[in-house]
Amino acid sequence: MRSTFRISAVAVLGFVGTSAFAHHSRAMFDQTKQVELVGTVKDFQWTNPHCWIQVLVPNPGDPSAPPVEWGVEMGAPVELMRKGWKPGSLNPGDKVTIVVNPLRDGQHGGLVLSVTGPDGKIIGRPAVTTQ
Amino acid sequence: MIANLIRRILPRGLLAIAMVLIAGCLFLTRAQTSSKGRVEAFARLPDWSGIWELDAFVGQADGQQFSADGQRRLKYYAAALRPSFTPEYQARYDEIQKKVEAAVAADPAHPPVTHQPLCDPPAFPAILTPGMFQWRVTPEETTFISTVGAVRHIYTDGRSHPPKDELWPTLMGDSIGHWEGDTLVVDTIATKRRLYMSELSGFFVPMSDQLHFIERIRMINPDRMQIDYTVEDPVALTKPIHATIIHARVTDFNRMIEETDCEENERDPIVNGRFTTVVK
Repeated sequence: MRSTFRISAVAVLGFVGTSAFAHHSRAMFDQTKQVELVGTVKDFQWTNPHCWIQVLVPNPGDPSAPPVEWGVEMGAPVELMRKGWKPGSLNPGDKVTIVVNPLRDGQHGGLVLSVTGPDGKIIGRPAVTTQ
Repeated sequence: MIANLIRRILPRGLLAIAMVLIAGCLFLTRAQTSSKGRVEAFARLPDWSGIWELDAFVGQADGQQFSADGQRRLKYYAAALRPSFTPEYQARYDEIQKKVEAAVAADPAHPPVTHQPLCDPPAFPAILTPGMFQWRVTPEETTFISTVGAVRHIYTDGRSHPPKDELWPTLMGDSIGHWEGDTLVVDTIATKRRLYMSELSGFFVPMSDQLHFIERIRMINPDRMQIDYTVEDPVALTKPIHATIIHARVTDFNRMIEETDCEENERDPIVNGRFTTVVK
C-alpha cells in the first residue's frame, strides 16, 4: 500500500496517487482506519478539485441528540464520472451509508471509499481500462 | 503570340474572365499537389488517437484505491528511479528530505506543502502521470494534452532548440522531436530545474540548468504507449537516469474534462504551509 511504497520510493516522474489527489497529500487521512457513516445527505458538491458529500449522521445511541455533520471528500468530477457517478447521483435527503478513511486531525471528515445509496446498492463501479 | 491571338478573338471582358479562370486552375492544381503531399505526410505518422492514462491507474476501484497490478506498477516505477546525485546535490537532497521528515513528524495530521502550487499543472516530466492524456500527431508538431491543465508542444518540423539567450525555465520546457519509424524521439530542455521525489509526502529537489530529457515514445500494442526516457544532468547526477513508463488506453470514457479549477471549491486550503480541511 502507499505507506510501504513511500518508504523506498524515489519517483522522478511524478505524482503518485490518483489525479485528483495529485493536488494534495492523502497523508491527512488515516488509511489504517475505516469509519461507516449512516445518515442523510445534506448536500452533494459536484465540484473541482474534489467532490464532497455533506452528510448528517445521527447518534444511534442517542436519537434525541442533533445529528453530526460530516464533510467527506472524493475525487474530481471527471474521475467520479468514469466510475459511474453523475452530478445527480446523490440528492439532499437521500439515506446513505458512506465508508471513509477518517481525517487524522479528529474533525468530522474523511476520504470516501464507498457510498451505498437509498436503494441499498453501492454507487458507481470500478474504472475499466484495457488490461 | 497566343495572347495576341486570344485578344483578337475575344472581347476584353471575356479575356479577363478567361485569365482569372486559367489562374484559378493553376492555383487549384498547385493546391491539390500540396494537399496531396500533406495527406501523404499525415499517412506516414502513427495513429495515437484515443484517451490514455498511466497504466498504474488501470482498474482503480471506486474509493481511489489502486488495483493490485497498479500497486505493483507504482513500486516498479519507483524502484527504477533512483537518481545517483553528485555529492553537492546529494547533500541538498538529504537536507530537504530531513526538513520534510521533521515537518511530517511535527504534525502528521496536516502534511507540509512540499509540492509546487498544487493546482497549477505539474511541470514536465511529472505531467506524464496524473489525469488523462491525448496526443495530436501532425507532420509539424506532436501535441500532448492533459486533463490536469497542460499542453506540451513537441516540434517535429526540423527546427533546433532556440538559442540559450532565448530560453528560461518553464513548466513544459522546450521540446523538439523527430521520427525514427513509429518512434517519436523527443529532446527537452529549459524545464523547471527540479525533479519530483515521491518519498514522504512528496517533494522537489533542485537540479542544475543542464537538466536534459530524451524520450523515445512508441505504441507497443494497440492499447499501450511506452515512454523510455533518459534524464541527464552532468552537474547534479553522476550518471543519467534511464527508465520507462507506460500509458494505457482508456476504454470506459471518451471525453477530456479538465479537473484543475481549484477556485471552484477548494476545501483543503494551505494554512501556515500545511494542508488543512474545511469539513463544513
